[in-house]
Amino acid sequence: MNWLVGIALLTSALSGLLVVTSRIPRRQIYAMGANGVALALLFFVLQAPDVAYSEIAVGTVIVPLLFLITLAAVAVNRARP
Amino acid sequence: MTGSWRLALLAPALVVLAIAAAQVILAMPAFGHPLSQYGATVDALVPMLRNVSNMVAAVNFDIRSIDTLGEESMLICAVTATVVLLRGHRGEGMTECAGRLPGRVWLERSDATVLMCRLAATTLFLYGVNVVLHGTVTPGGGFQGGAIAASSFVLIYLGEGYSTWRDVLHSETLAAVEGFGGFVFAMAAMVPLAFGYAAAQNVLPLGTWKDLYSGGLMVIVNAAVGVAVIGSFGVLLMEFMEETRAPKPGDEDDEDQEEGA
Amino acid sequence: MNVLAWCVAAWLLGVGIYGIVTSRHYVHLIGCMTVCQSATYVLLLGIGFRWGAGPPIFYDHPPGTPAVDPVMQALVLTDIVVGAAMTALLLAIALQVHKRRGTLDPQHLRPLRPRE
Repeated sequence: MNWLVGIALLTSALSGLLVVTSRIPRRQIYAMGANGVALALLFFVLQAPDVAYSEIAVGTVIVPLLFLITLAAVAVNRARP
Repeated sequence: MTGSWRLALLAPALVVLAIAAAQVILAMPAFGHPLSQYGATVDALVPMLRNVSNMVAAVNFDIRSIDTLGEESMLICAVTATVVLLRGHRGEGMTECAGRLPGRVWLERSDATVLMCRLAATTLFLYGVNVVLHGTVTPGGGFQGGAIAASSFVLIYLGEGYSTWRDVLHSETLAAVEGFGGFVFAMAAMVPLAFGYAAAQNVLPLGTWKDLYSGGLMVIVNAAVGVAVIGSFGVLLMEFMEETRAPKPGDEDDEDQEEGA
Repeated sequence: MNVLAWCVAAWLLGVGIYGIVTSRHYVHLIGCMTVCQSATYVLLLGIGFRWGAGPPIFYDHPPGTPAVDPVMQALVLTDIVVGAAMTALLLAIALQVHKRRGTLDPQHLRPLRPRE
């Protein structure tokens, strides 16, 4: 159990770094999804199933999707004559 | 400010932050040995006092429910501000067809995708509602279940396409659903006041342990939060998706660009 | 192991601030802000965690068995959902900036002036 918490903590630290270092916004969205999964696993290991639920639904579905739609809207605006 | 200036300012700031963080980290209690009595007290007393098994829901919807009412208003305010910002530029009109990027290949969606999306969207929505309803018993509750149910709207978009999505979901309906949830929560906090109790005091019969109805007023607050969260995220997805629509002639955007040119 | 959780929280905050400062795209900047937010989640849940304790849901195990702090979990739970709405608000502001100024690069934005 001890090492599981450690691994989950390190994974979420690493995935947070990935979100920051992926400079192209479209790639960052994938990193954000991965960060959401890593955080959800960490919360699950920390005995917080409620929070893990919330993070899976919000952090891996809704927030990346909002970012994706924003990028699409920016592209549509740019294509407009 | 150029990039090198930013980095030059950032470096001392991060050094200060690192020193402060090191001080705090060394002074923190050991990981895994919490000092706070609040949580331990809740764990020990609330199952008996309120007949609920999910302590997180009990803290959210009963013991600190005024706090959650504040969070709920923040959610509704943030969604309203987003909608006002997005609509301020394009008005309230809805468009029938999605925008196209020139030169992008457009593929017909296969029947398998449509079928799977229909099945999965329904299942996901019902699952979300189920998570909301069992909030006081098993892990779950209004916030999580609402977000899960709202994410099923995305599958409707994926399976049915933009215009059908528009026909199935209406922004006004979702906004009304959101407001209704907020209203019920506010009433659940205020109605006990009218009868001489404290705000949001749990005055209903508490129900049975491990039952769908357990926790009295918590059940109503939980459902209200779920409804409000479904509405909020539905409105958000809808309004953001409307930003990618095809421009209509006479849109406000076009006028602005003419002005700018 | 004793300080790893606090170090991860501080690391996420620092990395997020670094990303915000060096970002050249507003959408990327908002993404970095969500990393800063996740630092608070790790910190709060770390404070409430207890070795060998179960989740604070007494469905399978009877009340009285050791459980982690539910108050911290309740704080994080609402914050995740409200934080998503706040992120949406920031994205809407970024969209408006792009519509009015035609760019999403903080370096290319001049201070706001009334339109002539």
